[in-house]
Amino acid sequence: MIHHKTINRIIGILLLIEAGILLVCSFLPFYFHEDDLFAFFASSLITACFGEFLLIIGGKRSKENVLSRRDGYIVVTVSWIVFSLFGALPYFISGQIPTFTDAFFETMSGFSTTGASLIRNIEAMPHGLLFWRSLTQWIGGLGIVFFTVAVLPIFGAGEVNLFAAEATGPTHGKLHPRISISGRWILFVYAFLTIMCVFSLRVCGMRLFDSINHALTTISTGGYSTRNNSIAYYQSPQIEYVITLFMFLSGINFGLLYFLLFKGKIKKMLLDTEFKWYLYTTLIIVVIVGAGLFFEKNERIEESFRHSIFQVISAITSTGFTNTNYSIWPPSILMILGFCMYLGGCAGSTTGGMKIIRIAILFKTLRNEFHRIIHPNAILPIRINGKVIPQSTKQTVLAFTIFYFGLILISWLIFMAMGCNFFDSYGATVSFIGNTGITIGRLGTEIAFGDLPTLCKWFCSFLMLVGRLEIFSVLILLTPSFWKHR
Amino acid sequence: MRIIIAGAGNVGTHLAKLLSGENQDIILLDEDEEKLNKLDSNFDLLTVVASPVSISDLKDAGADKADLFVAVTPDESRNLISCQLAHYLGAKKTVARIDNYEYLQPKNKDLFVQNGVDSLIYPELLAAKDIVAGMKLSWIRQWWEFAGGALIMMGIKLRDNAEILNVPLSSLGTDLPYHIVAILREGETVIPGGDDTIQAGDLVYFMSMKRHIPYIRKIAGKQELPDVRDVIIMGGSRIAVRTSQMAPEYMNLKIIESDLNHCNRLTELVDDKVMIINGDGRDLSLLASEGISHTEAFVALTDSSETNILACLAAKRFGVTKTIAEVENIDYINMAEKLDIGTVINKKKIAASHIYQMMLDADVSNVKCLTFANADVAEFIVKAGSKITRSQIKDIKLPRGVTIGGLIRDKEPILVSGSTKIIENDHVVVFCLEGMIKSIEKYFK
Repeated sequence: MIHHKTINRIIGILLLIEAGILLVCSFLPFYFHEDDLFAFFASSLITACFGEFLLIIGGKRSKENVLSRRDGYIVVTVSWIVFSLFGALPYFISGQIPTFTDAFFETMSGFSTTGASLIRNIEAMPHGLLFWRSLTQWIGGLGIVFFTVAVLPIFGAGEVNLFAAEATGPTHGKLHPRISISGRWILFVYAFLTIMCVFSLRVCGMRLFDSINHALTTISTGGYSTRNNSIAYYQSPQIEYVITLFMFLSGINFGLLYFLLFKGKIKKMLLDTEFKWYLYTTLIIVVIVGAGLFFEKNERIEESFRHSIFQVISAITSTGFTNTNYSIWPPSILMILGFCMYLGGCAGSTTGGMKIIRIAILFKTLRNEFHRIIHPNAILPIRINGKVIPQSTKQTVLAFTIFYFGLILISWLIFMAMGCNFFDSYGATVSFIGNTGITIGRLGTEIAFGDLPTLCKWFCSFLMLVGRLEIFSVLILLTPSFWKHR
Repeated sequence: MRIIIAGAGNVGTHLAKLLSGENQDIILLDEDEEKLNKLDSNFDLLTVVASPVSISDLKDAGADKADLFVAVTPDESRNLISCQLAHYLGAKKTVARIDNYEYLQPKNKDLFVQNGVDSLIYPELLAAKDIVAGMKLSWIRQWWEFAGGALIMMGIKLRDNAEILNVPLSSLGTDLPYHIVAILREGETVIPGGDDTIQAGDLVYFMSMKRHIPYIRKIAGKQELPDVRDVIIMGGSRIAVRTSQMAPEYMNLKIIESDLNHCNRLTELVDDKVMIINGDGRDLSLLASEGISHTEAFVALTDSSETNILACLAAKRFGVTKTIAEVENIDYINMAEKLDIGTVINKKKIAASHIYQMMLDADVSNVKCLTFANADVAEFIVKAGSKITRSQIKDIKLPRGVTIGGLIRDKEPILVSGSTKIIENDHVVVFCLEGMIKSIEKYFK
């Protein structure tokens, strides 16, 4: 059963919250005496009206207002679309982004923490819009619905279904028996990391406004910068190392970070299978890329290492900051960077991509297939953290992988059909599905995203949404059986 | 001593028989009357049909006056509750059989003592320890450590290539780094004197020290045997799981289990170094394809003693050097020995001897039951003025079937000969035929 009233009501509430956030953002134009004040007021008002309208349609909260599994998926996907639609209003109304297509692309790129921007001169934007742009990423980092539920536990019994639809990774560990309290703890870790990041960047000499913006987009692994040249603008190794560290931290499961930061359980983290894979994969790739850069480009060793660790972690965690012009790197190293975009960080983090845990399960499944040839009668389990994972999880991971690669192949084709060349299309597809934001190929560097055809921009927005909600949550809405009343 | 044993299963019955021969007051409890009937008519003990977790039943059985209460039903939680009740009623000491490694950890000991369970016994764990020890030193059939490992006793099967065959023991020399305490020949245990000789096929028990192990390996002709690296375990029992958890890192284990559901459960209990194979361990082609010919140890742990014995024989034909079989049927143990199976594991005997040791006075810290030799080994601390300190060993008339293997004086291990004089506070390791421990206790007091 699909409960339309409940869905309307929840989306109405979410929109009211968004209206509130927009209103708060209007404080910045007021403070900086800039002309986007009206844009924020107007957007806030329109969003509030629409939210109120949905609330009225939705009717009063009653006992029949239960939230089924299907409702969970609808609410999550629809709320991401609606949030992006209304979140695009300030850019559009203020005239900073003239077409609504572009404004929607920018907002979806924000909420999905992709970080691909089609604004040509970012530094000319008013402060209010820049902050809103970073804030979309911070809200989208943990998930729009997650964020709201953690702040305001308003939905009651159906919350579990919302989390299931939005959380990243194949398995979800709970920190607390009540999911909204787990959510609050995670949010607390998130906010703590952000504040630490602001502080560290300030210490390294970044302006306060820039520090806040970069912290918001680093911890959410989004990658929007307030500078046209991203982090490369600052030419400061300290800032680059600080951001590298916080990007890496944001790629760790927030549940583990909670235990590390507030319970001091460092062992729990070091023994975690996924964390180990994350750490070692990152180290190995950093060394390979660093060595490649050192021998190919005659840089100083520190410089090669810094460029390597920054760009590799930026790609693995799907952040998309740049501290150097990586597009002139040798093609083989670029391909490694492209490979990183597939990986993503740990499950339960803010990163995109496939997530390391799936790669680990996949790898072990493949290894077992070879074992099975030699030992046909052996029972070959897959263990994560010493526990055998159930057969169903394994199948889901395999299905996910097939979908992921299938989607990449199809999207690759679609990009080419829309006029991009072979390599650029590949780079763009991997980047959008993985929510990375930087691409290998010419897109985003030589060819601006703004120059893509309109249809292509909508398709990019779709890919970002599918990538962020890990494919199934969106695609399930496109299956006929989902809508049958059975 | 008044001893109550709750649970007339394998371990309980064996323990009751063992103790009834020692002039103890044994009361055996069980809910199943049939299990008790057989025992009642054949042994000198009292059987009571009662529930081990009923307060009134325990009272009727006399738990309030018991010196020792042993709960050995198959169910761990019933055992713990039973011990708590008995303790509450007034039993002086309680022992519970458990099936959980966590409970045995030293940090949790107080928890159980506070709740009235004085000791815990875990037969599967003890059996697994024996198996792992047997695989580590595969040429040794049985292995004991005394006084924390300062003195060791080894049971070794001597073949034609041994260096000390057919020579009277007295002419082997006087200052030997070992002492032969017993010989098992065709099912008979012999406590050897100077005129006896060792023959091929004898199972010889050497008392020695760790540093002399290579020398004993040489004289026993066991030098060419390889160390155990690859192990096949047949049957995924609890002992198999424990064994795989205790095996050293360098060993590769394969567990063959015929029940698919049980296989899946096993994968959750063991870790990555163990491979679970679904199949019948009696299927020779399966064994061959899993590489039994280059496996060094084969361990048969199914529920059926017959299967275990036969599977070990099959493994021997593939050239496996070390075979270990779990034989729960006590009558088969001698037969298994004659069929040349390397080590025989008997859970009941292991558990019973462990409990037996708790029952003996605190002076005895390590009694172990020799499965093959119908013999016990015990460690005594000599008290001041006791009989044994009065003269040299050869002048003390120890009963027949008793020999002193070695002693530890001021933490230094010493091997014993006829002219050794024992003084007080020595830790003495005594080797005697089954059931004689009580009768030699008086020499050390």
